[in-house]
Amino acid sequence: MKKIFKIILQYYLKFITKLVLLIHRPTVIAISGSVNKSFFRDEIKKVLAEQGKTVRANPKNFNTEIGLPLAILNIESGYNSYRRWLPVLASAAKAIFQKNFPTYLVLELGVAQRGDMRYLFSIVKPQVAIVTEITQRYIESFSGMDKLMGEYIYLAKNVKKGGKLILNWDNEKVRRLKKYAKVPVLYFGTDSKEVDGRIEEIKKEIDGIMVKFNYKDRQNEIKINRFGAHHAKAVVVGQIVKVENI
Amino acid sequence: MFERTKNLNLSVIKQMELRASKYPDVISLAQGVPNFDTPECIKRRVELALKRGIVAKYSLSPGISELRELIEMKLAQDNMFYDWEKEILITAGSIEGITATILALTNPGDEVIIPQPTYTSYREVITLAGCTPVFVSLDEEKGWAFDLEKFKQAITPKTKAIFYCNPNNPTGTIYSEEQLRGLAKLAEEHDLYLISDEVYKDFLFEKEQKIFSLAEIPELRKRVIRLFSFSKSYAMTGWRVGYLHSDESVIKEILKVHDSLVTCAPVISQFGAMGALEMGDKDLIEMNEEYSQRRDLICKHLDELSHVFSYVRPESAYFVFPKILLDKIDYADDEHSGSLSWKFALNLLEKTQVAVVPGVAFGPNGENHIRMSFGRSEEDINKAFGRMKRFFG
Repeated sequence: MKKIFKIILQYYLKFITKLVLLIHRPTVIAISGSVNKSFFRDEIKKVLAEQGKTVRANPKNFNTEIGLPLAILNIESGYNSYRRWLPVLASAAKAIFQKNFPTYLVLELGVAQRGDMRYLFSIVKPQVAIVTEITQRYIESFSGMDKLMGEYIYLAKNVKKGGKLILNWDNEKVRRLKKYAKVPVLYFGTDSKEVDGRIEEIKKEIDGIMVKFNYKDRQNEIKINRFGAHHAKAVVVGQIVKVENI
Repeated sequence: MFERTKNLNLSVIKQMELRASKYPDVISLAQGVPNFDTPECIKRRVELALKRGIVAKYSLSPGISELRELIEMKLAQDNMFYDWEKEILITAGSIEGITATILALTNPGDEVIIPQPTYTSYREVITLAGCTPVFVSLDEEKGWAFDLEKFKQAITPKTKAIFYCNPNNPTGTIYSEEQLRGLAKLAEEHDLYLISDEVYKDFLFEKEQKIFSLAEIPELRKRVIRLFSFSKSYAMTGWRVGYLHSDESVIKEILKVHDSLVTCAPVISQFGAMGALEMGDKDLIEMNEEYSQRRDLICKHLDELSHVFSYVRPESAYFVFPKILLDKIDYADDEHSGSLSWKFALNLLEKTQVAVVPGVAFGPNGENHIRMSFGRSEEDINKAFGRMKRFFG
């Protein structure tokens, strides 16, 4: 019963979401990878909002077959309660007529099982896709690294025409996705001159990090009150989104 | 033989529980365990992980990446900024985190200052590490506040750290920002670590209430080690999962001890912790409302026994620490003849089958007090006080 309900719910939400996206046609920026998606999502959302654009991002791990549509429609989950799902289903239908739908959606795409990426792309096809890291996380659900890579290869091949794929050079698996891309690829990272958004230094200070980076031959420095290389990379990707006027 | 353990004691709380278990009709206000079951959203997260077959193997020693990412985000909401990859460590409950921290920071012979009354196990861990716990009394007259002058007097060249619990168990005190900043100033002057056990930080009974943490101050990040456990906030005492965070220079040392103690926190419990952070907010609010009502209830009962107890109203956690106003307890017990709080607790257990913890368990300054937990249901609290009222008249 539970399984049947979940399938019905999944397809109902998918149908409504596709309809909403068809009507409102937002620019979709998708972020995928084994870790750090949320930090990239938050940084990009911040950069777009600073430019005066209207943005919606998925909250806390709403990045799977049920969570993603809920995030796009901006409605809450009913979690494990049939009773709580009833008003959610009604809200989903009302979302078709939402006013002030944002012009940008910044969405995490979570991959935990084989076929997840294909399913998520059947709901939403991004203009820009970013891959943060590929590690062995969730490998238990796949029969090997190749199968897990297959999910990201699907993403690389299916970014919308005219869009961009933004990849982490420092992760060898992510770097290799370029050969499958049908749209221009931009790299971010630290290691090579081939990197478009290159981090030159992450200076740890008492109250945060100073990120020195180079994008399109322009030196930049941004100070943030966070710690860790993942934040430095998120900052650079945020600036790519800004400069490229995505 | 047993040189390392000869000065350790089985926790008084456990001793009381053992004694209480001999009485079939006992109501225990002794153990600090929530009476709630773990919220459904947490169980579901774990069920999903079990079905996917991803809980059988060790995680990375610092913990599952996804959980540490969630903790980094949660901390940022509370104005604390730490790198999940290098500065956040998932532990097997807070006590494992405390043990790993003390073993990493101290050398045998060092002294660790503990404001008291406070949680009983700190003393044992410090002793186990070959260090000396130095007790500094909290001021009951000022609502169990710090007296900084006493801390100053307790510092010696051997002092390595000040270790406090905020909100405090057993008094339910929330230390003010001003008091904590005073403590931080002392720590900076004498180059000491500050170990902050904040397992009760989610127990907020008043609107707009916020618990300040020294881990919010960037200048102190190499000095402060902050610990949290999912046990109390999310009714997960049996799951044994918590976390600690500090600057990477400190964490890399604690990690070595953590790895040698437990390899990693139980993976299944780490998935439970993820469920708590992802979906547990609503349950947290509901449980807090319940605890708030129980706090009011237990205080009302204590007011009706004002000839037996005086007390400071707890601001947080689920304990109240009343002072015993009786001068003498007519109870013969050779083992604890010098302690009023022991005699009171044993007498109460024998005569009413209500178990409480003798205050001396929380340090010398806890003598003449008892700890009562309102983690138990309203029904149990009412029954326990019904018996006490009949007994004390």
